[in-house]
Amino acid sequence: MDPSGIFPTSYRSDRRIIRTRWQALALILFMALMVAAPFLASGRIIAILNMMMISAVIAVGLQICTGYAGQINLGQAAFMGVGAYTASILASKTGLTFLLTIPLAGFSAALFGFLFGLTAARIKGFYLALTTIAAQFIFHFAVLNLPSSWMGGSNGITVPPAELFGLRFVGETTQFYMNLTVSAIMIAGAFGIVRSRFGRAFVAVRDDDVAAGIMGINVAATKANAFLIGAFYAGVGGALWAYLIRFVGVDQFTLFNSIFFVAMIIVGGMGSIMGALVGVFLIRIIQEVIATVGPNIADSVSFLGGDIVFAGMNVILGGVIALFMILEPKGLMHRWNILKSSYRIWPFPY
Amino acid sequence: MLYFINDIITGALIGLLYSLVAMGFVVIYRASKVFNFAQGELVIIGGFIVWFTTMQLGLSLWLSIPLSLILAGLVGYAIERIFLTKLIGESVFSMVMVTVGLLILLRGLVLLLFGPAVRPFPIIFPLKPLFLGDMLIPMNLLLGGIITIVAAVGLSWFFNRTRSGLRMTAVAEDHVVASSMGISVKGSIAFAWVLGAILSTIGAMIFLSGKSLTFLASDIGFAALPVALFAGLESIGGLILAGVIIGVAQSLTTNYLDPLIGGSLGSVVPYIIMLAILLIRPTGLFGWRTIERV
Repeated sequence: MDPSGIFPTSYRSDRRIIRTRWQALALILFMALMVAAPFLASGRIIAILNMMMISAVIAVGLQICTGYAGQINLGQAAFMGVGAYTASILASKTGLTFLLTIPLAGFSAALFGFLFGLTAARIKGFYLALTTIAAQFIFHFAVLNLPSSWMGGSNGITVPPAELFGLRFVGETTQFYMNLTVSAIMIAGAFGIVRSRFGRAFVAVRDDDVAAGIMGINVAATKANAFLIGAFYAGVGGALWAYLIRFVGVDQFTLFNSIFFVAMIIVGGMGSIMGALVGVFLIRIIQEVIATVGPNIADSVSFLGGDIVFAGMNVILGGVIALFMILEPKGLMHRWNILKSSYRIWPFPY
Repeated sequence: MLYFINDIITGALIGLLYSLVAMGFVVIYRASKVFNFAQGELVIIGGFIVWFTTMQLGLSLWLSIPLSLILAGLVGYAIERIFLTKLIGESVFSMVMVTVGLLILLRGLVLLLFGPAVRPFPIIFPLKPLFLGDMLIPMNLLLGGIITIVAAVGLSWFFNRTRSGLRMTAVAEDHVVASSMGISVKGSIAFAWVLGAILSTIGAMIFLSGKSLTFLASDIGFAALPVALFAGLESIGGLILAGVIIGVAQSLTTNYLDPLIGGSLGSVVPYIIMLAILLIRPTGLFGWRTIERV
């Protein structure tokens, strides 16, 4: 809810994303801080921020598909993989500039996602989740079994660095600005999508697809669109990932990665773009802590070896998903909104 | 020709093993309306329990198998008590998401408790295959297939004919309606998970007998998933037919098509069948058709 004195007088102002001056100020400050980050922080933090921004793009796509349109999607990592492979094949074979490969990666992932979204015409609920798992398996199969000159097979593909006007994007700092630009555009776009006609159709289908159909929404097309948009975001995120890691292999895009993305949006809150960002931030920090602390524990419990990071990650994220579903199914953003509205109307109860 | 028949028989028996694991999905769904994504992890936990009681405690098979089944039932009960009882009345989405969380939670726990090491699994079924003329049939799959058919007939009778089975069927239809009719939703879900965990453990014994045990064996859960969907999530008897069809299709693809194209198409054939059946008949071969009202 808005603070006292702020009320929309037209439909246009009701749709505004930035509603108060303080919000505008906070956004400008945040963006300034992000732009200045490479001068303020050390290399390690920049590397973490890079991962966070890429994950944010992918998680926001999943948020649109699952949180807004209600379509359970356990294949986001496969869609990301399609994008990453498209970008790296285009970049390494044809030498296209990243200005073209990143959107093309998005489109190819969107096409792949759309194919699985089409099944939504007949299937609903968690059956749909099962077809997205099939997407995950078919992606693996295609990469590993198609001739290795196409997709590198199990060897993976090495990606040449992105280049613009003779400037090579190597090193965390230059890539930071590339990731920042792309993710800012994508996230701003997501805010636009969810308040548009498509976004309202998504919410209607999520809340009750039979009722939405009766109201004149093309339910099958809306579901397929949700997959298309979600997969587009995953594809763009995958392309950024490919340029950051400079190597793609099929093991980077497993079902477990998909579930990690689901965990991010559950922790942050379903049906909220900000929620996806909060979730990405928290989960990536947890991941970072485990990656730092894990090896120390591994030294004392030697029989586990290097698997402790993966195992610990699974235990904590699985526990987090279950706990949030039981205790706080609407996520942290919901709790934050309750807090915000209660201080705005303080001292009155409502 | 002989090889062809042998491939068909082996394929059908592997398909029956998939049916047994898929029965875990269906039993849990039939009594609680929850699709359990963590079925493969239950198989692995069952496998580790059997390994622990026979290899670590050194009990004889006659003692360790019943003990393992009881322990597996307890694990299923504990999972239900800790995670699912609290979600009765919540949306199906929450419950399914909790099982997705369980999938990675249990995988992580197994890794933390037992580590990635490869362990020998006890020989439960005789290793010597059965020779039928010139054909060779693995003994564990043959006995496993018989167990599967017996279990399917028994459970099918239980869910469709007995009073307590029909009560659980009512729970699968609608939690709220069932509890307002005086049926214990809690009890039904608890029973489902105990039974699901026990079936998974039996599946683990047949699957792993005489082989090696690592946490990667949980992939059988996802291999069994197409069978459950092909049969329709509500039908236990239908699993046998679906399992045999998918097993034979997979075996024939692996043996005759894969050498031609030089890939492992066999591993995705079940998924392709699953996608096709979902598009043609979303409820599977024998699933319930539901009418939706607003």
